[in-house]
Amino acid sequence: MSTEHKISLTVNGESVSQSVEPRLSLADFLHDKLQLTGTRLGCEMGACGACLVLLNGQPTHACLVLAVQADGDKVETIEGLNERAAITDLQEAFFDRNALQCGFCTTGMVVNAHAFLQTADAPDRDEIRDAISGNYCRCTGYEAIVDAISSVAEKRRGNSADGGTAQ
Amino acid sequence: MELDGTYTLDASPQQVWDALFDRDVLEKSIPGCTELLQISPTTFSAVVKLKIGPVSAKFKGDVELSDIVPLKSCTLAGKGNGGIAGFAKGSARITLEETPEGTTLTYTAEAAIGGKIAALGSRLVKAASRKLADEFFSKFSAVLAEISAENHIETPSESVA
Amino acid sequence: MNMQRKSGSTTKHIGHSHRRLNAKRHLAGRGQFVSDKTLPRMLHAAFVRSPMARGRILDIDISDALKAPGVMRVFTAAELNRICEPWSGTLDHFAGMKSTPQNILSEGDILWAGQPVVMVLAHSRAEAEDACELVFIDIEDEEPVIDGAAAMLPGAKLAAPGLTDNICFQTVLETPGVDAVFAGAAHIFEESFIFGRHTAVTLEPRAILADFDSASGQLTVHHGTQTPYQFQDLYARHFNLREGQVRVIAPDVGGSFGMKLHLYHEEMGAVAASILTGRPVRFLADRLESFVSDIHARDHQVQARMAVSAEGEILAMQVDDLAPVGAVSAYPRTSAAEGNQVIRLMGAPYQMADYRGRLSVVFQNKVQTSQYRAVGHPIACGVTERLCDMAAEALGVDPFDFRARNLIRDDAYPQTSATGYQFEKLSHEACLQQLRQMMNYDGLRAEQAELRKKGIHRGIGIAPFVEITNPGATFYGVGGARISAQDGAIVKLTPAGDVQCLISVTEQGQGTETIIAQVVAEQLALQPSAVKVVTGDTDTTPSGGATWACRGAGIGGETALRAARKLRDQILSIAGKILQADAATLMLSDGAVVDAATGTHRLDLAEIGRIATYRPDTLPAGTDISLTVAHHFAPQGYPFDFTNGIQASLVEVDVETGFVKLLKHWVVEDCGTIINPLLVDEQIRGGVVQGLGPAFFEECLYDDTGQLTNGSLADYLVPMACEMPDIEIGHVETPTLDTILGAKGVGEAGTAAAGAAAMNAVNDALRPFNASVSQTPMTPARILAVLGH
Repeated sequence: MSTEHKISLTVNGESVSQSVEPRLSLADFLHDKLQLTGTRLGCEMGACGACLVLLNGQPTHACLVLAVQADGDKVETIEGLNERAAITDLQEAFFDRNALQCGFCTTGMVVNAHAFLQTADAPDRDEIRDAISGNYCRCTGYEAIVDAISSVAEKRRGNSADGGTAQ
Repeated sequence: MELDGTYTLDASPQQVWDALFDRDVLEKSIPGCTELLQISPTTFSAVVKLKIGPVSAKFKGDVELSDIVPLKSCTLAGKGNGGIAGFAKGSARITLEETPEGTTLTYTAEAAIGGKIAALGSRLVKAASRKLADEFFSKFSAVLAEISAENHIETPSESVA
Repeated sequence: MNMQRKSGSTTKHIGHSHRRLNAKRHLAGRGQFVSDKTLPRMLHAAFVRSPMARGRILDIDISDALKAPGVMRVFTAAELNRICEPWSGTLDHFAGMKSTPQNILSEGDILWAGQPVVMVLAHSRAEAEDACELVFIDIEDEEPVIDGAAAMLPGAKLAAPGLTDNICFQTVLETPGVDAVFAGAAHIFEESFIFGRHTAVTLEPRAILADFDSASGQLTVHHGTQTPYQFQDLYARHFNLREGQVRVIAPDVGGSFGMKLHLYHEEMGAVAASILTGRPVRFLADRLESFVSDIHARDHQVQARMAVSAEGEILAMQVDDLAPVGAVSAYPRTSAAEGNQVIRLMGAPYQMADYRGRLSVVFQNKVQTSQYRAVGHPIACGVTERLCDMAAEALGVDPFDFRARNLIRDDAYPQTSATGYQFEKLSHEACLQQLRQMMNYDGLRAEQAELRKKGIHRGIGIAPFVEITNPGATFYGVGGARISAQDGAIVKLTPAGDVQCLISVTEQGQGTETIIAQVVAEQLALQPSAVKVVTGDTDTTPSGGATWACRGAGIGGETALRAARKLRDQILSIAGKILQADAATLMLSDGAVVDAATGTHRLDLAEIGRIATYRPDTLPAGTDISLTVAHHFAPQGYPFDFTNGIQASLVEVDVETGFVKLLKHWVVEDCGTIINPLLVDEQIRGGVVQGLGPAFFEECLYDDTGQLTNGSLADYLVPMACEMPDIEIGHVETPTLDTILGAKGVGEAGTAAAGAAAMNAVNDALRPFNASVSQTPMTPARILAVLGH
């Protein structure tokens, strides 16, 4: 194949420099090269949402971005969000509501839910359903996921009203 | 899948007809053609590189001209093997008609595709095929124009002969 | 100080909504799927597949592929198939069934578009795919067999070599009086149905990493499957290894739903390639490969008639099911099982004395179909319930009342259906009643009438169902299939007093490990969190059937219960020796042995573990110090534990666009003893959505040359969150008396009847237009077509 390109980016707060083939997707780079296996591939065409990561803060299909395009960027994956405790309440709500079964879609779903709740103000169930409609889940039937996200949104709203800070 | 189209070419039916059987013209006109060998006056083998939707492939195939009514019509049938990408096969009936502007070329084609191109690109194939047909005839027309320009220069010497 | 505890104070865990501990790993991004697994010196496999549906291979040129960067090996059938015994998807109890023997790569005949022809091994999947592009296969294409009905006509082209006709299997099931009943019936209702072909679309595609160690002769296969023991047996027999040389490990599996228990050419290829190269070989299907090589499901064309008396009693049904299943029957469970269940489940909830079901399973040049969640149920339920609604409408009876008149009475068990199924005890009447209240049926009907005046067309549909769970050995074993009807568990007390349960049922997210922990914990009077459950490894867990046909809770749960009671008895026996007391006077409570009469604390479990492990010398000579017990269990009563329930669907049809909005769905279900209400409800919800998907969106579309034309998630529509309704669930609990636990299965209940309820709802909405739809998926185009647009 064509020659490799050196890229440098920040992944979950750590500086990473590697040489990659120009055709390597960001999803494969994260999953295979960096062993951040929480970023998963389900369709490789941006339809299923399993590979969602935060690219410079924005939820992005890592399968539709080439690793070389992310040169100089900031990437955050489920592992990073987990470790900096940014999604603890979401994780707890998904756990409590059993909003996952096989777990394959879960990481992309949680990344998307996290990004959604950064901006959504008091979302109703339909808005939550719309927000996760790019995330395919074959197991749950979605209702438990909607419940979990809805309960987190409510709790965060309650915390804000009490002067607490939403994460 | 069925396709049809009509093109007006700035050349006489004789020039169009000759060009349809001319290896060099065909090689320049077929989109993505990297190799064209003339096996007989009416058969060619070709290598063509194409991209349809998410699938790009190198097709190896044969093209054959049949049902020939000189200066009027012929059938152009082809079958291409794109390896892992799949295959394409089809045939087009081409008819020529002399008009004041030159020649009107009409074709009706039937095509079938298989493999990865069919599974991933079926929504795109018709549009892509039309685009390829348009590309073929616009190149064909350009090559014809070149030839007829050359012929203008060559005409005196021909008349002498 | 010894705590005083009340006698018999064992903690109850069965029936409580314990959370799934393994969910936490997934939420932290720490799931470990086969597609995450790598091994040193691993090679990646990719396949060159036939682009044609039928033909003969004239020539294969791999010379350029062999020279491609990163390529290690390029296999054709000549090299790869020779180490693999061929397989045939037939079973003895399907009399007369036939199917052409299969091997890994095509040996000349092309039977479907997507069939693997050449296998490339390279250092990366990308390099393997690059090399695939350099392989040239010259195929002389032949006209494929596509249409099922045409395939049955005399003189039809044959879908595979070695066949004399395209019939895979045919059977007739009938009662003697059926013709007379139809001849004398006051009313006969009939309809033709088409249930579209769809597929499982697990989010993690099929994945395998085969690792043959030529030094030790051991084959270890990391395999995203629901049935590891079945594959241990298959790999051993087809690659001429001893069973003990084969270990199959199924770690986290990204969805399976029946699709991941069939044998696939590519998986056999990965194993063969690892044996030939002595290196680990990984194959991960990409999404397109999944669409053209995973088994497909359904694809049934049914002609059905129902005879009804003047009083509105269902007297008989007659159905003809035509099931085209692809070019070969799936292995080892066959492609005939779904059709067989279709004709046997017809009319199952009803008092119906007479019946004729005819099944024709036919070959065609498409991907093979086989078992997928709720095998046969959506078809049988869809046909039966549509005919019931047609009858109710013609007789001017409310759909609820029509069911109430015809459902098997709750006090009329045991019962045998007209198709020969034996029902121990079901609860149709109780479910029907509960549903009517839960959904506020009368209120919805009133609202429907009001909205109709405003041009808003809502529909309400209901569908009672019967589900097959906990199959015994009569399901596959009698047909000669090496598919276990039993399950096994090892339960042990560790030296520090913790408990482990190693069990043959497997986990794909349904919560198997959690319910097993609950069952074991309750027997040993512990918290479920103190019980570690290990699944999915043939080297460490006992052999068993694993996960299929809703058997995890009923059979796996009973196995765990009996094994844990064995361990309990053994713990008490050792405690008796230590305490010089009669074991019968002791019991377990809160991690300790207590006096049964007074509840007085006697000995911690940790102390028993310590003594039995480190100080057996202090026990009387001859004491059995085993703190590990094993138990196997197979159902021995009824051939199946049937469950039952009823579903309802509320939809709104836009008669201008044909779009259907799913407003709400209800389920009342009876799966016997409920071990974990939370997990049962989520199984039902997920199942309902897997029933609604194919009812409205999902269909594998083929053109007339046998090409699948929608092989991506952009073109094949799956249900997404914004399209799905909230689902309300109620329960009736009728435990099976065949087991101590009393649990039946629940995994397929949602899928069984969701489509039937939805079809009845859509047709209820279309009623003012005298239009009805009887084909799934019920796409906007099909709805507009029946509306005459």
